[in-house]
Amino acid sequence: MNKKQVALTLGIMCLLLTVGIAIQVRTISNTNSTVAQTLTENGLRDEVLRWKERYDNLYSQLEQAEGNLEKVRQQASQDDTSASSKEDEIKLNNMLLGLTDVTGTGIIFTLTDNQGVTTEMVTSIDDDISYYLVHDSDLRLVVNELKNAGAEAISINNQRIVSTSAITCEGNIIKVNGEKIGSPFVIRAIGSPELLYGALTRPGGPIDLFNAKVITDIKKANKVEIAKYTGIISSKYMTNVEE
Amino acid sequence: MIIMIAIIVGCIIGIVIGLNSPIIPYTYSGYLAIAIIAALDSVFGGITATLNKNFNLKIFISGFFGNAILSILLTYLGQRLNVDIYLAAIVVFVGRMFNNLAIIRRYLIEKFSAKEIINTAQKMKKKREQKIQKNT
Repeated sequence: MNKKQVALTLGIMCLLLTVGIAIQVRTISNTNSTVAQTLTENGLRDEVLRWKERYDNLYSQLEQAEGNLEKVRQQASQDDTSASSKEDEIKLNNMLLGLTDVTGTGIIFTLTDNQGVTTEMVTSIDDDISYYLVHDSDLRLVVNELKNAGAEAISINNQRIVSTSAITCEGNIIKVNGEKIGSPFVIRAIGSPELLYGALTRPGGPIDLFNAKVITDIKKANKVEIAKYTGIISSKYMTNVEE
Repeated sequence: MIIMIAIIVGCIIGIVIGLNSPIIPYTYSGYLAIAIIAALDSVFGGITATLNKNFNLKIFISGFFGNAILSILLTYLGQRLNVDIYLAAIVVFVGRMFNNLAIIRRYLIEKFSAKEIINTAQKMKKKREQKIQKNT
């Protein structure tokens, strides 16, 4: 072996080694870097990361499959008029179910915990620090009010409100669709901006109630984008009633 | 000289590629880590061998890849058996790395101290020659 060959092999090996180190460093810095206290905690964290990875993989597979389905449907309905009207129907139904991204006029309403209030400031006996936080009931109130005012699509912190959505209190966080969300809560709604705005700001309405406690911000918008529902709407127990 | 250039160029290209390549799944990062440790051990072993003047490229290459692959396999086996075999691999590799580093350090210190001794000897020799010249 002459010197050039030696230099080449050593160079390639150094290349491999540094590529490995760089990838490893990036991988580790990308994952959650909180230092675990114990071995069990470490193992649990590993487990969570692995499950999350698996979930992400499956979700991307699902998205791919949905894309394929869409293509197949389009191909099938290309020549046939009755099939193409069916296709439009499916699209409309998916939109109503919350399974597609939608956009339109509406409002963006933000609810934030009042962090200016501290425990020392809460002195009177019928006052409580928890009054100055946003609760699940507040979100439910807003969603109810928006639905009543004719909102066609609603999302809270990018969690789409669909027919099976639940807004629940889970200790110090709120869960929507089983996903944790936290302050600030950005509620997007598509509908008539005036109607939605009026429903929230009317005297004695939700904003009147909230303003004494938490921080609110409401904006009318010409273009509100609402992401699709990412969960599964199951129909395991129900069947159609035959007429 | 050409070897040094090749190593430096390889390292720079490697960092650039590594920073632009996609990251690997977290599940496999443990295996990559142990492979890196094994490869680093081989590199230090190679440097020590060079200093001892018994460096053999074939041994170096086979050690570099063989150790990395073997340690990955052992780590995998350990996970199947629920024994942390990778800990043993780390102890062995890092222990050997420290040994090799000690040898390198000793070699460098001896080299520099030898130079110093020669330098001082030469200086004294010059002074003595100057004195002799003055006296004559």
